[in-house]
Amino acid sequence: MNIHTYEKAWLIAAMLLIVGFIATITYGSIGLGIAMVDDEGGSIDPNEVFDHEEFSDPGVQQVGEDEYEVYVRAQTFTFVPSPIEVPAGSEVTFHVTSPDVIHGFSVVGTNVNTMVIPGEISTMTVEFDEPGEYGLVCNEYCGPQHHEMSGQLIVTPEEEFDLTELSAEAPDEVATGEEIEVTATVTNGQLEDLDTTVTAEIGDVTLEEDVTVAGDGSEEVTFVVDSSDLGEGDHDWTVTVDDYEESGQVTVGTDESDENDDTTDTEDDNE
Amino acid sequence: MSNATTAYFEDFPEESKVIHSAFWSSFIALTIGGLFGLIQALHRTDVFRFMDSADYYTVLTAHGVLLALTFTIFFLVGLFTWATTTSLDRGMVDLRFTWGWYGLMVLGTILAAVPILAGFTDSIDMSASVLFTFYAPLEGHPLFYVGLVLFVVGSWLAGVDWFRTWWAWKQDNPDERIPLPTFMVLTTTLMWYLATLGVAIAILAFILPWTLGLVDGINPLLTRTLFWFFGHPVVYFWLLPAYMMWYIMLPKFAGGKLFSDPLARVVFVLFLILSVPTGIHHQYLDPGIAEGFKFIAMTNTMFLLLPSLLTAFTVVASMEHGARQRGGTGYLGWLKALPWRDPVFTGMSLAGLMFAAAGFSGMINAGMNINYLVHNTFWVVGHFHLTVGTAVALTFMAASYWFIPQLTGKRLWNRSVALIQVLVWFIGMTFMSNAMHRGGLFSIPRRTAEPQYEEFAFEAGVGSVAELNLQVALGGTLLFLSLVLFLANMVVTVMGDRADSGSIPANTYAGTLSGSEDAPLILDNLKLWTTIAVVLVVFAYTLPILSVIQDGGLFGYEINGFPVSIAPFLPAELPASLETVTAALPEIEVIP
Repeated sequence: MNIHTYEKAWLIAAMLLIVGFIATITYGSIGLGIAMVDDEGGSIDPNEVFDHEEFSDPGVQQVGEDEYEVYVRAQTFTFVPSPIEVPAGSEVTFHVTSPDVIHGFSVVGTNVNTMVIPGEISTMTVEFDEPGEYGLVCNEYCGPQHHEMSGQLIVTPEEEFDLTELSAEAPDEVATGEEIEVTATVTNGQLEDLDTTVTAEIGDVTLEEDVTVAGDGSEEVTFVVDSSDLGEGDHDWTVTVDDYEESGQVTVGTDESDENDDTTDTEDDNE
Repeated sequence: MSNATTAYFEDFPEESKVIHSAFWSSFIALTIGGLFGLIQALHRTDVFRFMDSADYYTVLTAHGVLLALTFTIFFLVGLFTWATTTSLDRGMVDLRFTWGWYGLMVLGTILAAVPILAGFTDSIDMSASVLFTFYAPLEGHPLFYVGLVLFVVGSWLAGVDWFRTWWAWKQDNPDERIPLPTFMVLTTTLMWYLATLGVAIAILAFILPWTLGLVDGINPLLTRTLFWFFGHPVVYFWLLPAYMMWYIMLPKFAGGKLFSDPLARVVFVLFLILSVPTGIHHQYLDPGIAEGFKFIAMTNTMFLLLPSLLTAFTVVASMEHGARQRGGTGYLGWLKALPWRDPVFTGMSLAGLMFAAAGFSGMINAGMNINYLVHNTFWVVGHFHLTVGTAVALTFMAASYWFIPQLTGKRLWNRSVALIQVLVWFIGMTFMSNAMHRGGLFSIPRRTAEPQYEEFAFEAGVGSVAELNLQVALGGTLLFLSLVLFLANMVVTVMGDRADSGSIPANTYAGTLSGSEDAPLILDNLKLWTTIAVVLVVFAYTLPILSVIQDGGLFGYEINGFPVSIAPFLPAELPASLETVTAALPEIEVIP
């Protein structure tokens, strides 16, 4: 076969280009450590997603110093949970699956992007260098409301990040002279102990208590106020820990007919 | 028979009718699909909208199926029938068979189109808004899948037709080389047989039985993998007819000869063996497939650049040869000597130029870990509007300006309108595709009805999202305008009177500078190349498919189709519904 000299040169250049491309990608994999989404996430029966240990109540967990796992359910036509809050500068591993059809999971403006296929768990580990708010978007057609399937990912500065949860419980009504008990439960989802102060304002009384919540544990703090000190009427109460706040109202008074002991439970996650 | 003196319709009047019918089927698909494209370009950019965003996906399904499958493949079967008969200088063996596969393809198209279009109205309980990739567990009406199958079977029979015509020719010409156009037809057909196995298995063994309720479960990753087994090589099924035009017609229109017949054969052989074992590169971001398999697919994909780079050389060298024959001189000065006023030449050249740009964005797509940035974004849409939407579509339209007179004996109505048409397509696509590529880099997804989302806003690094949207809408409008000009030209041409005998140019294709006598005989050994192609596919696919089946099961998980509103009217469902009826009966008390 006779090949023109120029064509031979072109052929060689083309081969070099191709080998160069493959080398570049290989460097990205081995040198820079950009791993592909693969089969390490394992499989899952899509019918079991809502009963799954993690995917039934998906969210962020700390698994090591600067290491977090995030479980996400991509389902028609929403991401659960959303917003997702993770710290900057940590290794964050996303596990995403779908209980229904094929979806996409893409963090807008980044190269965090994976297919979500029913029956499979997509697992990818990433690190966000900069704090910021990112959009989450489903980038695979999943049905007539596909364009409504979006969410938010909030990357918090490392020092401001926590996995603290606060819930509080107090009666709705007490008779004059009885004690008002406000119970706050502080949960620490991080591995390190959490030293903090729980503050309760009940009417015009302010109480404080320092607590240490063990890693992956929770503490209950109870504040007691004598209702006579507050006087008859409606009184607001607020419990705060760091940036978290729970509040309610208690009525001190005499409604003889109502003997039940109604209480208000409040609970708030990271939001 | 590159030395013919007569036009095609004079030598092959009956074949002309089949090819002409196939081309018009293609044009009708192009018209409807193109109109839907315009609706999408205006809707998703929020420039002009008249329908609910939920209907966008019905439009998109029709756009994809009609343009990616119907338009391209109908044109291909016409073109390949022309190429076979012209280069073998003999008619098809049995025209009833030829009309038969054409009819089957038409039937398949209609059956697939009915449930798609029924999706626009609630009065018909049918829909198939599953896009042209129909990923399960999205579920379309069974008729949609049946239609696709019949269409593909029709194309298989067309392949049989070309092969048997070639075998008949071989009986009479045992010692001759396969003429280059026929060689291209045969290698492309073999590639198609191999590629369509994937989609045939996906539909016949899994999706259709599941849609009909014969089996309860489906493995979404398995059917998706089988789809892409077919889904990547199908792009070469669109592209190779365009390549054929660039090899055997463009040099002629440039006034010269094809630079090298042997390398043209090498290119088609490479496409035969490398097209299929690459499909997993559409699944770089799929869970459940090991990284190693993705790497193999990437390596094969990168080597597929080789035949395209070789084509770039050969086509440009052939054009230069033509230009110098026409008196062109200088390093680049020869470009001025090319027949730029000829819409056929200019259309094909611009299509080739766009394909070069598409090659670059394709290299980004092919880069396994770079793909994270662009996967399922608007970038990908920009990419394939350069490939199938321009390299293929514009080449086909430009070629039609030569073919329709060849097939009908009627002179092209207006060459100036034709020239404007190809230019407007090029300009429109420049706007649209460029904006789509850029939008993709900012994570704007493909396949969405909305330009922005509620919980966040896409932000353009350079320019603004509004400006990108405007470019997409403008580009889409120009493309539709170009399409209207094309159709008008075609309609007026075929409605006109036949030209005087002898006034239609002879049916010839380009001669060669280095001919088939320079091509080693082994290149024509189709059995060898097919075997290698099969072996490579076995290597690339056996383990990934086995592991997908091992993880998720052959028939996967019990999953209901989505949307669930599709009620299959089935015998399998009957006993269950009868039971419900009988169970309700005893509760009806007869009042005496």
